[in-house]
Amino acid sequence: MSVFIQQFINGLSIGSIYALMAVGYSLVYSILNFSNFAHGGVIMLGAYFGLYAVTLIGGMPFLGALIIAALLAGLVAVVLEKIAYRPLRKRNAPGLYFIISAMGASIFLENLVIVTIGPTFRTYPQMISREPFTFGSISISRIDVLMFVIAAISLVLLVFIIEKTKVGLAIRACSYSAKGSNLMGVNVNRIIFVIFLLGGMLAGVAGMLFGMKYTVYPQIGVITNKSFVAAVFGGLGSLPGAVIGSILLGLIETFGAGYIASNYRDLIAFSLLIVVLVIKPSGIMGKITEDKA
Amino acid sequence: MKKLLSVLLVLIMVFSMAACGSSGEDAAESDVIKVGWIGALTGDQAPWGTCESQALQMYIDQQNEAGGVLGKKLELVKYDTKGDANESVNAVKRLIANDKVCAILGPNASAAAIAIKGALNEGKVPDIATVATNPDITVNNDGSVNAFNFRVCFTDPYQGAVAGGYAADELGAKTAAVLYDVASDYSQGFTQFFVETFEAKGGKVVAQEGFKSGDTDFRPQLTKIKEADPDVILMPYFYKEVALSANQARDLGIDAILMGGDGWPSDTLFEMAGDAINGSYVVNHFDYNDPAASEVTAAYTEEYGSAPEINAYMVHDAFQVLIAAIEKAGSADSEAIAAALTQVEVAGVTGTIKLGEDTHDPVGKEAAIQQIVPSDSAADGYEYKFIMRYTPEN
Repeated sequence: MSVFIQQFINGLSIGSIYALMAVGYSLVYSILNFSNFAHGGVIMLGAYFGLYAVTLIGGMPFLGALIIAALLAGLVAVVLEKIAYRPLRKRNAPGLYFIISAMGASIFLENLVIVTIGPTFRTYPQMISREPFTFGSISISRIDVLMFVIAAISLVLLVFIIEKTKVGLAIRACSYSAKGSNLMGVNVNRIIFVIFLLGGMLAGVAGMLFGMKYTVYPQIGVITNKSFVAAVFGGLGSLPGAVIGSILLGLIETFGAGYIASNYRDLIAFSLLIVVLVIKPSGIMGKITEDKA
Repeated sequence: MKKLLSVLLVLIMVFSMAACGSSGEDAAESDVIKVGWIGALTGDQAPWGTCESQALQMYIDQQNEAGGVLGKKLELVKYDTKGDANESVNAVKRLIANDKVCAILGPNASAAAIAIKGALNEGKVPDIATVATNPDITVNNDGSVNAFNFRVCFTDPYQGAVAGGYAADELGAKTAAVLYDVASDYSQGFTQFFVETFEAKGGKVVAQEGFKSGDTDFRPQLTKIKEADPDVILMPYFYKEVALSANQARDLGIDAILMGGDGWPSDTLFEMAGDAINGSYVVNHFDYNDPAASEVTAAYTEEYGSAPEINAYMVHDAFQVLIAAIEKAGSADSEAIAAALTQVEVAGVTGTIKLGEDTHDPVGKEAAIQQIVPSDSAADGYEYKFIMRYTPEN
């Protein structure tokens, strides 16, 4: 039984990282209807921003570094939108072009880091004790608890902004119909700016937490492929869907590895995803079924 | 018209083939001898590849200052493989066809060294791998030897057998678990021979769990291993995954002794996971404290300002074997060099190297067992302590 609980905690912890990353995909998808693959690159940069905030500025507290990482990553996301997507939007380019532009941006960011900072792995100095909380034979690492709390706070804040504020109302309006909202006097460009800022800031938070928990390297973006799949699984465009899909993916992976065969960890997880998508193409919570690119 | 065109095409093909055929002689006649190097200068394995290429450049400069080989200067041509097998094949083809090198050193990754077999055979140019330890590089499954693949390190089976034997004989372990990378030939070969030797010596392997390189979370597998409660855990893969999995194992409360191979040593391992791997045992190609190695260490540190990785020592010996073979062959003809490689014996910094005729692997090299211990003098708090030289047969 204790093994089961430990595996459950492992799964939740893996899933909560996916969730922080997946929400950024869903956010952009809900408005612009394309998958922003550059998100992985922004997450990777977030990890580096946090690392430098901690190592270069003496005595930088954890929260300060997290805020710096979030703001800088938000800035990068906004700039990327200006450079890589806005010109395409002006020309009404089809969704496919956005995706290719996003992939290009992602590869660009990865290589930019390789040539400027270097390809080697870096580690955060220890800011949180490595000593885990233990309950009998079950252990929970402190950073997992911290991540869970920060992920929860970020997601609640995000939901608050979207559900309770005026900007949030405009975002929701745009996600139904950007054209219609524009006619009603909503500045769609500004809404898209806000979306990328929010998505980028979440990416910064996710990147820094990922970097602290594991390590920092230019290929972090690859991990986000899984969180993208989790977002599709939960229903692209739906924020609760992204979170639920991510947690489920984390749990399925963990239990697949723990109780069936660790060699087949990804195979089991992705086979289940395919089955779910075949039965319910819109994902668990999704409403939009067409053009899921 | 069509007929004329096809005749023309055939002629072009014939001439281009003829041009290829004569490339070996061109290389032998020019007044520089070109030596190729391939390896990862970017990506996961960059710390090793970068060190290896820098060290090789230094040895070539030294050799040239001392008069070169056969009265000719040596020139290094190097290509980045990014640690990728396809890139490696392309790099080898380019080295042979465009740069007309007489021999190639590297790569350090087994998968890349296996992938380039075909290209080497086609171009009839020998390659000496540095720390690529998979058996298939030199000897095929049917026991036949690859004519143009050589190496100066011992093989995965040997590392696995050393680790398995040492765990049973010297550490007195009764049970062992293995966490291995299912996507890596290196990790699988290592694992297979560890299990065979450990069980032959009466031990029991209680868990074998896989992951895929690129994974960052190993807790599902480690939780299973914890349940099996082994005396030692073998981690036969590279430092990034070693650091992550060792940290996570300790987080889960696993206190078994960790063991690893030549994938562990790296500048960043202690920084990433020093406390978690304290007391672990590593099977290595040689020991850094060996007096024979100190000259290389000093020269490299002076030239590049940082301590060398193991690749600097391995490529030193690979280069010495190559020089000896060129002198023995009396020419820079790549086929003559290939034939001479098994005829020379070189006292390298990692041991005496004599490549076997039917294996193209070094014959009779011992492995060094090192333990990771806390150190007051080292910058990152830990160092490798030489424990013993060990061969599983004794």
